[in-house]
Amino acid sequence: MNTVAAADSSTPPARRSPARRRGLLGALWAHFWPREAIRDWVIGRVRKRGGAITPPYTLAYRGIFILPTVFGFGFGGMLVFTALGGLNFNNNLALLLVFVLGALAQMTTLLAYRNLVGLRVAAVRSEPVFAGEPAHLYLDLDNPEDRHRFAVEAALATDRAGDCVDLRPERPASLALALPTRRRGWLEPPPLRIETRYPMGFFRAWSWVFPDTQCLVYPRPAQSPPPLPATGAGHSGQARRGDGDQVYGLRNYRAGDPLKHIAWRTSARHGQLYSREMESPRDSACVLDFHRLDGMDTEQRLSVLTAWVLQAEHRQLVYALVLPGRTVAPASGPAHRAECLEVLALFGT
Amino acid sequence: MKHGRMRQGLHNPLYWVVGTLAVALLPQLPSMAPHLVAITLLPIAWRTLAELRGWKPLPTLLRLGITLATLVVLVGTYGNLLGRRAAVGLLSLMLALKLLETYRARDARVVASLSLFLCATQFLFSQGMLMVVYGATCMTGALAAFALIARREAFAVTARPAPTGRGLLGELSFGSRLMALAVPLGLALFLLFPRWGSPLWGVPERSLDARTGLSDSMTPGTIQALFMDDSPAFRADFRTGLPARRDLYWRGPVLWNFDGRQWQTDFYGRRIEADTLPDAAEAPYVYEVQLEPHERHWLFALDYPAIKPPQAQRLTVDYQLMTRRGITRLTVYEMASDPDFIDSPDLRQTFRQRALQLPEAFNPRTRELMAGWRAEANSDADLVRRALAHFNQENFRYTLNPPLLSRHSVDEFLFDTREGFCEHYASTFTIMMRMAGIPARVVTGYQGGWYNELGNYVLVRQSDAHAWSEVWLAGVGWTRIDPTAAVAPSRVERGAIDALGERRFLLDYEWLREVRNGFDWLNRAWNDWVIAFDAARQSSLLGFMGVERLSARTLVALLAGAMGVVALLLLPWLLRLGRHRERDPVVRLWHRFLQRLHRAGVPVTVSMGPLEVAGATAGHAGIDPDEVKRITGGYLNLRYASDVQGRDVLIRDLKRFRVGRPS
Repeated sequence: MNTVAAADSSTPPARRSPARRRGLLGALWAHFWPREAIRDWVIGRVRKRGGAITPPYTLAYRGIFILPTVFGFGFGGMLVFTALGGLNFNNNLALLLVFVLGALAQMTTLLAYRNLVGLRVAAVRSEPVFAGEPAHLYLDLDNPEDRHRFAVEAALATDRAGDCVDLRPERPASLALALPTRRRGWLEPPPLRIETRYPMGFFRAWSWVFPDTQCLVYPRPAQSPPPLPATGAGHSGQARRGDGDQVYGLRNYRAGDPLKHIAWRTSARHGQLYSREMESPRDSACVLDFHRLDGMDTEQRLSVLTAWVLQAEHRQLVYALVLPGRTVAPASGPAHRAECLEVLALFGT
Repeated sequence: MKHGRMRQGLHNPLYWVVGTLAVALLPQLPSMAPHLVAITLLPIAWRTLAELRGWKPLPTLLRLGITLATLVVLVGTYGNLLGRRAAVGLLSLMLALKLLETYRARDARVVASLSLFLCATQFLFSQGMLMVVYGATCMTGALAAFALIARREAFAVTARPAPTGRGLLGELSFGSRLMALAVPLGLALFLLFPRWGSPLWGVPERSLDARTGLSDSMTPGTIQALFMDDSPAFRADFRTGLPARRDLYWRGPVLWNFDGRQWQTDFYGRRIEADTLPDAAEAPYVYEVQLEPHERHWLFALDYPAIKPPQAQRLTVDYQLMTRRGITRLTVYEMASDPDFIDSPDLRQTFRQRALQLPEAFNPRTRELMAGWRAEANSDADLVRRALAHFNQENFRYTLNPPLLSRHSVDEFLFDTREGFCEHYASTFTIMMRMAGIPARVVTGYQGGWYNELGNYVLVRQSDAHAWSEVWLAGVGWTRIDPTAAVAPSRVERGAIDALGERRFLLDYEWLREVRNGFDWLNRAWNDWVIAFDAARQSSLLGFMGVERLSARTLVALLAGAMGVVALLLLPWLLRLGRHRERDPVVRLWHRFLQRLHRAGVPVTVSMGPLEVAGATAGHAGIDPDEVKRITGGYLNLRYASDVQGRDVLIRDLKRFRVGRPS
């Protein structure tokens, strides 16, 4: 996993704001139409009304909203205009066209609503991410009914674009949403919308989802950190796991340990998996020490430490992390890495 | 590969948008100048090819230039953009040009929506039955485009391409179900939506494309031109017995004034109301006329109209039914006629003068001939008979292709060419009578009609247009004289087409005309039920349903009620939309089996395996454990041991299974 390279981007991938994308008229519209304020007010109302239940739950009648889209309003205006002409000239074919189209458009509200109602919101999951990278929020949906649900979309309340999926009968599906991150620590995701413009795009039906999960954001790894501190054993930082080294000890198996390191006999005896630690002694561990990084502020130090953790793990070193008031014992492996990164992410909070 | 591209094509909303626009344009194109048609079709072709071949969009400046140039050409062609056809032409052109920049969902939606609007504008020009097919096609195309655009837009946020959804067959079935629901609701709205008794803004008089029909003047060739036109002029539904065909003279404009070449209506004739009318209660013929729009200011009736219908502004002294506004929509009126009515037993001096006026210095030979006849005749009636006999016995021919006549047209016709159509005979006869001092005038209208047995009505086509004369005789008043009948009696017996005995155009066959006339009752029913439906019909329909007072509130209540009923009847069907039907009967029956168990209170779920189900039923009253064991065992064998032989037994068992009442 080459996370160091991935974290290189200095600024978060800025999404162009909708107002800028829509040009001058759009900007004017955004100025006179306080979209964010209205949205926040609505979300507040929904929360207060007790609509802010957290997953898992099933979308129900009271939680689904429906309004015409901009296109829906335009199309309706066209229909009204045509109907006025038809009434004035008593042109019955034109009226018939308008009435059938109107009835059909009206019917699509029912279909849009039905596309959402009964949908099960199973969970909102997230995976830790480095600050600056978009966090991935996974919305797990389940279609318990014996029918398709077409073009079910999801998006963050603060965003337009999200993800879209067709749900097959009695099948689950997962939608991925990118959430921009800036600071390390716990990130509380904004409310999500599950929405659909099915079938014609005249109407948009939507429901709010209030995730109960938090997203862990690691510090952003420093771009060009100082070299890793030397290990205590003087192996010039290249202490590999030699096959010929004597067994240092046994420890509980952790996910990711190589198969050949598993102590099969011991494990069989105890009914539990043990891994052999083939590594050099403890004092040869690489110590990533917060205090040794002089001339930097806390966040910079955390950034460097994060980069070091990634490098050390990449080079399969045994490393320890020392922070003011918190020390992580020397070890290696994905679990250790995750522990170190979490400690770094939550430092001082 | 090819197949794949086709599928891609059908799922590409752009092709649906382009197709919808192309269909919507169809009725508009014939009325446009050829170069405008080319300008309209070019962008459509370009955009289609661009999509197929992946061409780049045109630069903005070039598009602007094209649009401006097109506007210039359009204004140059139509003069201004005020007329209806010009306005619709502008809309058509702009929509076609809009395709050049249609690359986004919003533009595609605009084009598809406005194509529907264009379709509605075409109904202003024609509301025939074929237009329903046209409207339905446009609607289907636009809705398919909307659905595909919405789908594509929704999936645009994902990096992967949109899945195919329910596939083409699925879409078709879905669309037809949606339509089956929308059409009854639309019809309910159509019947119950409050209509306006009179228009809010003006309806232009010249709204239709130069419709052919009788005009208020006549020159040689006027009626001959109508003879080529087989479109219906009006239909008459007789409540009483039908007059003989030779008595079917449908009275239209009455022409008094002759300037040597052209006959015209008279100012007083148009303005002065008739002082006596036939007694409507005594009239032998009562009928309803369904008049096709002809943009002129008169209605038609058999001689002599006894009723002034509400649409007519006045029933004039020469018994024309004049309307205030041009007839721009289908008009239905009740009429009664009395052929034995005596028109003007006394002729007022003003009208006598008008019925005798002739320009001087025209047709000296005829003048001389008539002076001789006058001297020899005992009475006016004698003279009329002599003139008719002259037409009958001399070598006169009834033809569609008479030679052209110059200044002394009556002289040339009477002495030299002797070939003419009804207008020549009527005009010549009237002039002869005036020269002989007998008050005479030309009446134009229609003669005859085709009796439709299916619909029990008389259909009169434009090709039945005719002109005849009326002379005023002491004691009997204005008397109809048809000189054409003296030349070609079959004209009034069987119609002009028979009388001429020549084909008018390539596909002019007797049997084809018969078929067309026979099917006309469909058009008539369509006119009756759809096109002529207006505020008055609506209130009579509602009166029939028992709703007397028609307030807006009543209408809205009725509308809501009707829509509620329709919705209740059809909703279950709609709600089954998209339900996935299991193909395998065993699986279907297995699910039913589980449902029955579930209803009986056994905690089973769809995800349970057969053994778990068997275990869950244990100890439940009303369920035979052996039966359950047989079913679950059979299911297990079929599913996991491929025991195909046991399938039929299993199906039988599954069908038979019931949960008994716990005893």
